[in-house]
Amino acid sequence: MTLSLGDFQLTVEKRQETSRLVRMAAPTFSVAFGLVIGALILWASGQDPILAYTEMVRKGFLGRLALTGTLIIATPLILTGLAAVVSFRMKIWNIGAEGQLIVGAVAASGLGLWLGDRITGPVGIVLMLVAGAVAGALWAGLAAVPRAYLRTDEVISTLMLNFVALSIMNYLIFSSFSYWRDPGRATFPVGRFINDGLFLPRFVGRLHIGLLLALATAVLLWWALKSTKWGFELHVTGDSPRAASYSGIRVDRQVVSVLMVSGSLAGLGGAIEVGGVLHNLDPRALSLGVGFAGIVVAALARLSPLGVIPVAIFVAGFTNAGPGLQVLGIPSEIVILLEGILFLCIVGGEWFLRNAVRVRRGYRSARMSAL
Amino acid sequence: MNESVILLSLVSAVVIGTPILLAGLGEMMTEHSGVMNLGIEGMMLGGGVVGFWMSTQHASLPLAMAVGAGVGALFALIHAYLAVTLRVNQIVSGLALVITGTGFAGFVGSLNDSTLIYARPVSSFSPVFGEGIRQIPLAGPLIFGHDWVVYLSWALVVLAAFWLFRTRAGLALRAVGEDPATADTVGISVTATRYVYTMIGGAGAGLGGTYLMVKIFANYQHGITAGLGWIAFALVIFAGWRPWRALVAAYVFGALRNLGFSLQILGVDVPSDVLNVLPFVLTIVALIVLSARPATARKFSAPSALSVPYSRESR
Repeated sequence: MTLSLGDFQLTVEKRQETSRLVRMAAPTFSVAFGLVIGALILWASGQDPILAYTEMVRKGFLGRLALTGTLIIATPLILTGLAAVVSFRMKIWNIGAEGQLIVGAVAASGLGLWLGDRITGPVGIVLMLVAGAVAGALWAGLAAVPRAYLRTDEVISTLMLNFVALSIMNYLIFSSFSYWRDPGRATFPVGRFINDGLFLPRFVGRLHIGLLLALATAVLLWWALKSTKWGFELHVTGDSPRAASYSGIRVDRQVVSVLMVSGSLAGLGGAIEVGGVLHNLDPRALSLGVGFAGIVVAALARLSPLGVIPVAIFVAGFTNAGPGLQVLGIPSEIVILLEGILFLCIVGGEWFLRNAVRVRRGYRSARMSAL
Repeated sequence: MNESVILLSLVSAVVIGTPILLAGLGEMMTEHSGVMNLGIEGMMLGGGVVGFWMSTQHASLPLAMAVGAGVGALFALIHAYLAVTLRVNQIVSGLALVITGTGFAGFVGSLNDSTLIYARPVSSFSPVFGEGIRQIPLAGPLIFGHDWVVYLSWALVVLAAFWLFRTRAGLALRAVGEDPATADTVGISVTATRYVYTMIGGAGAGLGGTYLMVKIFANYQHGITAGLGWIAFALVIFAGWRPWRALVAAYVFGALRNLGFSLQILGVDVPSDVLNVLPFVLTIVALIVLSARPATARKFSAPSALSVPYSRESR
């Protein structure tokens, strides 16, 4: 593709290989571009962009309080990001992490309430986390089984199951006097709190060990994808399901296992939110789009399990800074808008990794050579 | 008394079904071109908030609707650029659009100490037909009692059905969605077609969002769409990519949104969460049933090239 502008000629070519420089430059440029658009929007609405950005960095990343807050927000995002990585690697599009996370939270809080003060401490906590992961896996299984055996489109089924999970959670707290709901609070419904012996231990301020679990999960997934038979078969199936089945891989089982692993990661995220932050089933805190954001995080990390970690922390920093901006009269929603703009810009910037734009002078000579 | 409750819920099913129908019809056209746009919820909020703002600023209602549609189309243009020109993953781009549109609406709604949240539309939609016709039993309130947007949505259903299956342009559109390489060889521009219909989808979402805020709520609140955009996405699948089926399904989905309230009046207590979830459950069930019956599925399945980027070099 060639575009001529006066004496200059722009040519777009497919890159044979992408240099390290371009790999670093493309996202950096994209982020800068997105920040400029955000600054223009802030400026047009009568806000001070410089002040807004300095505050975002300060309240999102600088200092112990800001950083622990950001890492707490990043924890479930890392797990939903990993959930997307593992399924997208096989070109199975699980966009149901949102629902799997919710179901994980429902199961973990339910088990936590049932355990009460009978089993607390590490054993109880592990049981809760396992319950969350299993519930997430089973919820993903609802989409996985029809996908494997009937070829039912998993994009739609996993997406739809998000809203089913959301409704179940709302029903348990808002529309019924369920096991999860605090019976003493009739007018302002909230979930019952689990025993404090089941809270995830904290190590710095409010920062709980869920972060370490998320980091360990990322490393484990990175290893599993790189060095196990399961990971190898996952990539072969992703590249060509037909070739995989010729070489003896049971593609249907592979689809089910990958979707269920993906669901279990998101479910674990929900359990960690309950055990580490919420300590009850709180629909107001669990329906904020962490599942959807995780998909974009995974894409920005180029489906690398370890790459998910910095991207999730970066995104969480913005989210964390939002409420602090309100004090300055800047709507806190700007951070969501800015996140969206940055996502779109970085996703768009990926194109530069695959294509090179070359600028040449001398339109005439180039045209001659084209002839 | 029971009859009037039933009649009232049918009428409100049409009213609530209308934004679902407008957004769903738009998405249906987008998907027929082979582009899947998950961003409906974001485009409804983003287009709707600007349309609603217009309606509070003495703009006429048609102008407010047109501006809402225009802004929705601009949001869709971002998706078109990413999905068609840059060929990025359409799921990722669509979800990023949801976040952007939600953030945009939230930001605009919160400006100047949330002025917009307390603002009300200057004028309101009124029924098209006179009092006399609206008094006719049943048909009066059900068919002749609506404002012009409802009739516009009916006209758009007819137009979409005619356009898709009875015109050359519609054939070209479906060709691009089914087999872009062949469409390209016979001289149809895949890129232009996908851009145009993706923007039409955004316009539909913008119309739906504006109508929701100006007519149904007469108000803007954060997250006011409350999943309606996702219901519109489900609608396209549930309707098997056919406009007439979308009309019926939109009202069924609309009725479910309001049924809890009506049933309560009738003394039946079904939690609204159970009813709210039905459109999604119905869509999953329809999808699984269809995939178990390949013969029927072929007739009502997604365009073959849906969400597959087209590149001439890799033909």
